[in-house]
Amino acid sequence: MPEVTLKNLSKSFAKGRIVAVDKVDLHVKDKEYFSLIGPSGCGKTTTLRMIAGLVEPDEGEIYIGERLVTDLPPEDRDIGYVFQQYALFPNMDVWDNVTYGPTVKAWEEKKRERIGREMLQMVRLYDRLDAVPQELSGGMMQRVALSRALAAGAELLLLDEPLGALDAKIRNELRYEIRKLVKDLKLTAVHVTHDQAEAMAISDRIAVMRKGHILQVGSPYDLYMNPEEIFIANFIGESNFLEGKVSHIKDDTAQVSLRGDLEVESSNIKIAKKGERAVLAVRPEAFELAEKTQKLGNALHGVIERIRFEGTDIRYEIRLVNDDSIVVVRPSLGGEWFEENDKVTVGFDPEKSHLFEYPEKGLRAELELE
Amino acid sequence: MRGLTASKTVGLLAILGVLIGLFVFVLMPTFYLISFTLTQWNEVYIDVFANPLIGDTNWQQILGYLGFSLRLAVAAVIIDFLFGIPLAYFLAYRRFPGKSFLEDIIMLSLVIPTSGFGVATLLTWTGLSGIGGLIGRSVVEVTYVVPLMNVPFLYLLVHVALTFPYVVRTLQGKLEDLSPAFGQASRTLGASAFTTFRKIIFPLAIPALFSGGVLAFARSLGETGATMVLGGVMPTAPIAIVRWVSEFKLATASFLGFLLIITATIAILLVDLLLQKRSVFRMPRWKFVSKVGKCVLKVEKKLSGRPKWFKDVASLGTLFIIVILPIIVVLFSVGVYWSADPDTGRVQGGVIYQLFGPSNYFNTLMRATLTSVYVAVISTYIAACIAVPSVYMIKRYRAGGLLRYILRVPLIVPSSALGLSVLLLWGPSGLNLTTPGIWLIILTHIVFSVPVVMEPTIAAYEGAGIPSYEGVARTLGATPYDAVETVSLPMLKRGILAGVILSFTRSLGETGATFVVMGSDVTVPPLVVNMVEALAFPAALFASAYLIALSLVLLILFRFLVRK
Repeated sequence: MPEVTLKNLSKSFAKGRIVAVDKVDLHVKDKEYFSLIGPSGCGKTTTLRMIAGLVEPDEGEIYIGERLVTDLPPEDRDIGYVFQQYALFPNMDVWDNVTYGPTVKAWEEKKRERIGREMLQMVRLYDRLDAVPQELSGGMMQRVALSRALAAGAELLLLDEPLGALDAKIRNELRYEIRKLVKDLKLTAVHVTHDQAEAMAISDRIAVMRKGHILQVGSPYDLYMNPEEIFIANFIGESNFLEGKVSHIKDDTAQVSLRGDLEVESSNIKIAKKGERAVLAVRPEAFELAEKTQKLGNALHGVIERIRFEGTDIRYEIRLVNDDSIVVVRPSLGGEWFEENDKVTVGFDPEKSHLFEYPEKGLRAELELE
Repeated sequence: MRGLTASKTVGLLAILGVLIGLFVFVLMPTFYLISFTLTQWNEVYIDVFANPLIGDTNWQQILGYLGFSLRLAVAAVIIDFLFGIPLAYFLAYRRFPGKSFLEDIIMLSLVIPTSGFGVATLLTWTGLSGIGGLIGRSVVEVTYVVPLMNVPFLYLLVHVALTFPYVVRTLQGKLEDLSPAFGQASRTLGASAFTTFRKIIFPLAIPALFSGGVLAFARSLGETGATMVLGGVMPTAPIAIVRWVSEFKLATASFLGFLLIITATIAILLVDLLLQKRSVFRMPRWKFVSKVGKCVLKVEKKLSGRPKWFKDVASLGTLFIIVILPIIVVLFSVGVYWSADPDTGRVQGGVIYQLFGPSNYFNTLMRATLTSVYVAVISTYIAACIAVPSVYMIKRYRAGGLLRYILRVPLIVPSSALGLSVLLLWGPSGLNLTTPGIWLIILTHIVFSVPVVMEPTIAAYEGAGIPSYEGVARTLGATPYDAVETVSLPMLKRGILAGVILSFTRSLGETGATFVVMGSDVTVPPLVVNMVEALAFPAALFASAYLIALSLVLLILFRFLVRK
């Protein structure tokens, strides 16, 4: 039963000066496709490498299934690990790469042959078994690396930015292929990436990390719909942040007074005190956009400063009357059409906005990626 | 337009000048020795194969010396591998305090004055001054021959100490370049650390082993200074050259030198050819391996579980015993022998008596120091003048790769053969421009100094990204000359300086080639050999300690410059 449990796991580098992972607790369920995401330097890769045994934790415990593996070397942990740079052995051909695990585990010749064949067929590369890695394309190399990791018989697959070195198109194809393999073979997968779109597309659950901490764990839907922190509202998808003050609270709804005394309502309240500074987060795609004369709920007025046509969507940069600037994204085929310098009304559903406490360090520091 | 043509002409002239300098000073002697042997074949033939008095005795001797040298070189390289591989692995993958010190020690082995090191080794292993003092008798006799390999133990020790850095440094560089992901991938797939080394790391490092091994081989083949100090037992080929030259048997000596150069060149060419064809070595699949595989894997698994420090201690211990210990012993023994021989108590056996007594070795030593410094300064200066523009040519022009390749020749030519070639070319029997003496020594030292200055400069050039900075300077309005003067040379300064110090140190310590060409202008390292041969051991001891201390100081200076 390859579930993964991390207890109080910590790791620092450079004699404690750089804290990579700070007292992380995490539980990955059996047969789950789990992603660790966060900006670079957040500790996600270090966490994955500690699970694999490639990095020794300073403190804490790692369980794979029921087994405490903290002090085991990587070869005794029964894992499959996929590297960003493939790490196919250049001194071996595809076949020897894929059967490397069975070979060093001294499995029987017949079993070795069978598994090698199955795994290569699964990634549709059986016809290339005598190619050397350098002859293959990036996508093919990663498929070989994947089948090599699976051939070693592991039920826990650890993926370290497996798609990071590939072209966008291939990246999109391969990510679904990886998920399908994991699900078909009933494996548990822990996938590290900095690409939130990739994680959203393939994961059952996601943990968002920042500065060595896990901020929130949830399904892609949860993280998008109910971000618990300002950082997540910005990192998963994107958000407009409007500063203001809570002027009134009633039940689940808060009245917020933005700069320039613009009054709006929000329903998802993460703070509850009247009179405090707050940040209102609204996703660009949550806005409705209309001509100035039209009436909308939570209406704000402004001028379109710039329009970017991005194919599927159109991005409007709008300066509100209080001089705050927001971004509104509308589908290109949505039927409406505006020009730069048009005076417009934007509105949003209070249910689709989030109200956060104003961060102590300031909004800009809170959103920093580094 | 005329301005442009003028500057182009100047540029072409400069290139031509450097090329001529390179050819005349660096390459011609070696080519001349080869051509001498071929053009004077009749004379050589008579001397070597059909001497009216002794028949082909010379040929028999040549075969004997050459065979012995080859055996010694191969044995040394094998031992280099045995302890160099774990050492390189250790240095590449471990971070620990004192690591750079360890690397300095390995570096020291490359520049240490060989005759001084020979004395140090002799002192450490024979008699009572070194390790022998602890157990009350000599550890080995000079004449002790290692069974199986059939080479004298002390020869082997010295050759390993002087050649292992080539293996360690190339292998360490390769391992550090190798992505750690390969090893990690292997571990996650279930292979133990040992299995990973055998199946992944080692095969990937084979090219580096070859190129390091062949350099070590060439160096061992040409080693003269230290071997001469231990030389009572069996002469090697380079020593035979020195002896024959002193007996004016130039034809026989040059034929042996020719054979040595050819052997070293063939070895290098073979390795190059091998490496050019394939940069990645795939292990053949042996059927029987898979049968015993299970046991091998089990053993490796067990070994991997063992405390890792075992092999580290083993390789570090070897390093200590063969390199550091002799140096400590020689420095220490000067004190012991200072006023009198510690065993007999005779004042005549003390350093003071020998230096300032009737034989007045102090005077000789000071004179030799002056000669050494003089040679080192002039040859390094000329070498730098040739090497720095050569670096530009190597990096700028497409033919540069070839030039760099050819410039490896002086590095692999055995030093006494090199001395002989310079003697033949410039000396009385060749162009007759100068007789053995200080100028001939300088001409000899220039040959190996050029590549020595060049390598760190090339490294600095590559490391600093000079072309892009020069490009920037040009777009900002600097002429090519301005760009070189204001941007490149200041950036290369450290690299050049490092090369200069290395070459200076190397020149101070050079023994084999100097012996052949020095005439009466003795430098310090040959003087050490002479002292040993004159049985003035305490004087030799002092001179060795003095030389080694000098090279240590220079090495510290070098590290200081390189690190900053």
